[in-house]
Amino acid sequence: MAVKFFGQFLVEKNIVTRDALLRAIDLQDQNNLKLGEMAVSMGYLTAADIQRAHNAQMSKDMKLGDLLVEMNILTISQLNDVITRQKNTHLYIGEALIQVGALTSDNLQQHLIDFRADQSPYVSEGIELPCSIANSNIWEMTADLTYKMITRVLDLQFRPGKCEQLTIINTNFMMAAMDFSGDVEARYLISVSELLQKKIARAILREESVECEPPEVLEDTVMEFVNVVCGNVAAKASQMGVIININPPVAIRPSVEGLKVPAGHTGFIFPIHAGDGEKMQMILLIKN
Amino acid sequence: MEKKKVLIVDDSLSVARQLERIISESGDFVSAGHAKNGAEAIKMNHSEDPEIICMDMNMPGMDGLTALRTLSVMDKEVKVVMVTSLGGVGDKFTEALKLGAKNVISKPFETDDVLRILREL
Repeated sequence: MAVKFFGQFLVEKNIVTRDALLRAIDLQDQNNLKLGEMAVSMGYLTAADIQRAHNAQMSKDMKLGDLLVEMNILTISQLNDVITRQKNTHLYIGEALIQVGALTSDNLQQHLIDFRADQSPYVSEGIELPCSIANSNIWEMTADLTYKMITRVLDLQFRPGKCEQLTIINTNFMMAAMDFSGDVEARYLISVSELLQKKIARAILREESVECEPPEVLEDTVMEFVNVVCGNVAAKASQMGVIININPPVAIRPSVEGLKVPAGHTGFIFPIHAGDGEKMQMILLIKN
Repeated sequence: MEKKKVLIVDDSLSVARQLERIISESGDFVSAGHAKNGAEAIKMNHSEDPEIICMDMNMPGMDGLTALRTLSVMDKEVKVVMVTSLGGVGDKFTEALKLGAKNVISKPFETDDVLRILREL
């Protein structure tokens, strides 16, 4: 029911053992050289050059390849050669599992078909942001996955509204937030009305009624929904080559004036129209 | 047959409630309690001596992977299953297995999947 990678799917379905997967991953680690290692193996630079670039990375937020070019250690043409060699020699997990004897070529194809079918509910559909921003594909995927999780986890009927840029986040009964770090920096928020908070609680706790639940449990269910969405966003992002680290979720009770989008951030709101005119919003505060 | 004791480690009250219900209704397992972070898990592993630990990764204070690293050194008997929304992140999944986790369950989870994995341990 969640976003998975192929190796995890195979272990979950008892198709390969945990130990076989670990052997295949070890084989991948030996074969799939990192950019610096590959450049050394191609004779373009030395281990000392990489160390110099790593030291420079401590004060510069740049990818190693770009930094090596900026420091005139590698030419752009050499960098492209290294990246091409990495792609051409990359050992995928399915092939690695064949090499360690856990799968055959024939059954790999069938398992890949089954895996794609299992993950098809999470294939991204077109969502467009109102203005251009770095990593827009990640933010569009985040909105898309949120909608899919509202359907699959909360079983809530809704209509997504048009995404808009915002400077003030209007108040609502409660908000739950999670911070992203890594290749992107942002805060993800879900804001809900009181009635929708109870609907979320019923779905997460799998209870018919939540009228007797204390407020901290009701809040916790919204935070857990945010945790589930953001964890799956991180999984999907990793498949897209973007690292997202997440922190534990927090609950926010905004004042009547709402919340201002912090300086240096771009805010996007994705209205979610649930039945009965109830208000739910997904908000992204993306660091520029 | 004696029921196996399962310690639940998650900062979320609602996840702990879900897992406690699955465990108590299974007939095969009994809850050994609920720890809210990795440090509490290490203490409760000592005091409650569970056979199985179901542990989240992303928790305030000591996170699940740090606790797993400690537990795998301190207690060779206990079987740890990570239950996490980060299960689909390949690096996290692999790190958990390398640190000794017996399996990783992704959130959102289904009752049948949780019980199948716990019974296989």
